Amino acid sequence: MDPATQYLSLDEPDRSSHLWRYTPWRRVHPTGDVSGIPEMGSPVIGLIGFDGGPAPNGISIEQGVMSNAIMPGSDALTGSFLRAVAAGSSWTLRVEPGFSSEHPVILDVDVGDSASVLHLCLDVGRLSELELVTRVRGSGEWFGMLRTGGVGDGGSLNDVVVGLLDRGTLLRVDSINVGRDAQVRAGTVSSGSDRTKADLRYRMAETGGNLRVLGSILSAGSMHLDHHVEIHHDAPETFSRLSWHSACDGDSRTVGTGMLRIADGSTGADASQLFHNLLLSEDAEADSIPELEVLEHEVIGCGHGTANGPIDEDQVFYLESRGFDPSEARGALVAAFLNSTLSEMGSESLHDWLVRLLTSELRESGP
Amino acid sequence: MVHGESGGGTLLEISNLHAGIEDKQILRGIDLSIEPGEIHAIMGRNGSGKTTAANIIMGHPDFEVESGRVMLSGEDLLELETWERAREGVFLSFQYPQAVPGLQVGNFLRKSVASIRGEESAKGADFRNELNEAMDALGIPRSFLSRYVNDGFSGGEKKRFEILQMLLLKPRLAILDETDSGLDIDGIKTVAAGVNAAIRGGESAALIITHYSRILEHVKPDKVHVLIDGRIVASGGPELATELENNGYDWIEERGEAEGVA
Repeated sequence: MDPATQYLSLDEPDRSSHLWRYTPWRRVHPTGDVSGIPEMGSPVIGLIGFDGGPAPNGISIEQGVMSNAIMPGSDALTGSFLRAVAAGSSWTLRVEPGFSSEHPVILDVDVGDSASVLHLCLDVGRLSELELVTRVRGSGEWFGMLRTGGVGDGGSLNDVVVGLLDRGTLLRVDSINVGRDAQVRAGTVSSGSDRTKADLRYRMAETGGNLRVLGSILSAGSMHLDHHVEIHHDAPETFSRLSWHSACDGDSRTVGTGMLRIADGSTGADASQLFHNLLLSEDAEADSIPELEVLEHEVIGCGHGTANGPIDEDQVFYLESRGFDPSEARGALVAAFLNSTLSEMGSESLHDWLVRLLTSELRESGP
Repeated sequence: MVHGESGGGTLLEISNLHAGIEDKQILRGIDLSIEPGEIHAIMGRNGSGKTTAANIIMGHPDFEVESGRVMLSGEDLLELETWERAREGVFLSFQYPQAVPGLQVGNFLRKSVASIRGEESAKGADFRNELNEAMDALGIPRSFLSRYVNDGFSGGEKKRFEILQMLLLKPRLAILDETDSGLDIDGIKTVAAGVNAAIRGGESAALIITHYSRILEHVKPDKVHVLIDGRIVASGGPELATELENNGYDWIEERGEAEGVA
């Protein structure tokens, strides 16, 4: 069945579904008419080196995707919708087996000022090592991004998606396979866009997969940022950690829902998820709902937790006793909170780059 | 050493200070005067008001001053916010320093020095040399700079880091609240050397708050004050600390009761 036919055959999901509890599909559909499949533009994309020069040899971006499939366990509705609207805007990021680069590579996605969509297939070859920053920017009213594919056996990918949209709605769906003994750090840095619905799913179907999912989310004004992260342990000796930090200001709302699924037979799996929310105003709201489905008894561990709270006044006093004025103390604590996950996303040079970016965003949003 | 305006004369003047927290009076009339270059010690049991006094001087928002004055070189500290007091040269080495995960030590130190001593003081080779020298003196490795502030630090590391900050911020008044607790004897000697180097013969002063006389064997105080139930019931030279170490606080409490002080 082609994606458009599949999408049109599905019912509109109601709020009883874990995925759609806080942000109904109607609110993130590009037109709100969920029975339609509108025509979409394409973003301008470019692959560049960390210094702004050309990307190193061994990594390329090519039009088209080798497979239109999404991994088992992905949401059929968004998967089919995005594949349908992105038919003319599909790309494959190919990383040759054994590739290695000293510096991160940037995939620049400029959505322009109109509605657009991108289907990006990640084909990260076995035993390759890559730090990839996908930078999404522009001022279109709607942008959809579907990322499929995966990391080959023994590969290592630090994969950071930075959302810097000026406004509008972002619908992002990730459906990524982690190969045997592959190591993946999947970071999300989000600041911007009025509304975000992200459904990020990772599957470890081979032994020895190692996954860290990290979020540094900054919401301000009346933003509504909803991230769902789902991690599937479908093989023995697989490891995952989810650490998600959201700082919420104004009357914005962030939602973080997590689902850890450990399949029967995934012995020795080790998994945990932690959501941490920093509330910067009385009107800000943060909801975190971690959930577990553990079908295997012989696991190393499987835990979850969530913590919400305002800025710690004792920390403020400590910084003020060192000469920080109240605004500087608050800014430093918000940056520190977000940096706790940011610093785990990759190498020192990538971290420095992300800190500079986030510092600039913090100045603009002014928490 | 010494950051901030020196008005000459007495550095710290506390007069008839009554203060507390949530309607509970803790300090019940403190008088204390410290001259530039002096090191004073306040000793007392748990709950006697020592840490409250330190927090009041630094301006902790949870504590309320009912009456009295706290003057730094003639300037009314109680009129200033905490960060303004810090910039005027007041430094508090905390008994339990706050951890700030995500804030790197190096960035924190640079920002603190810039805030208190000015932007220029936190730049370039001079700052790096000063920082390296202070870290070497305290036996702190360079790798410390990339750690997060007090996050995962041992008790001793936290105290050394507080003293490192003191050395870099060059305060006019350094208050050390139980800095010796959590330190072994080598740590105490190192910290004491830092305090002596920073205070002795200069224009700044230190107020050491402690339970024990151990640190005072290495930082000879000019005066020792005994705080009981929110009042200074005795003051004397360094021999008073030894007497307290040998005989405890009971005798002084009894003497205070007999004199109607405590």
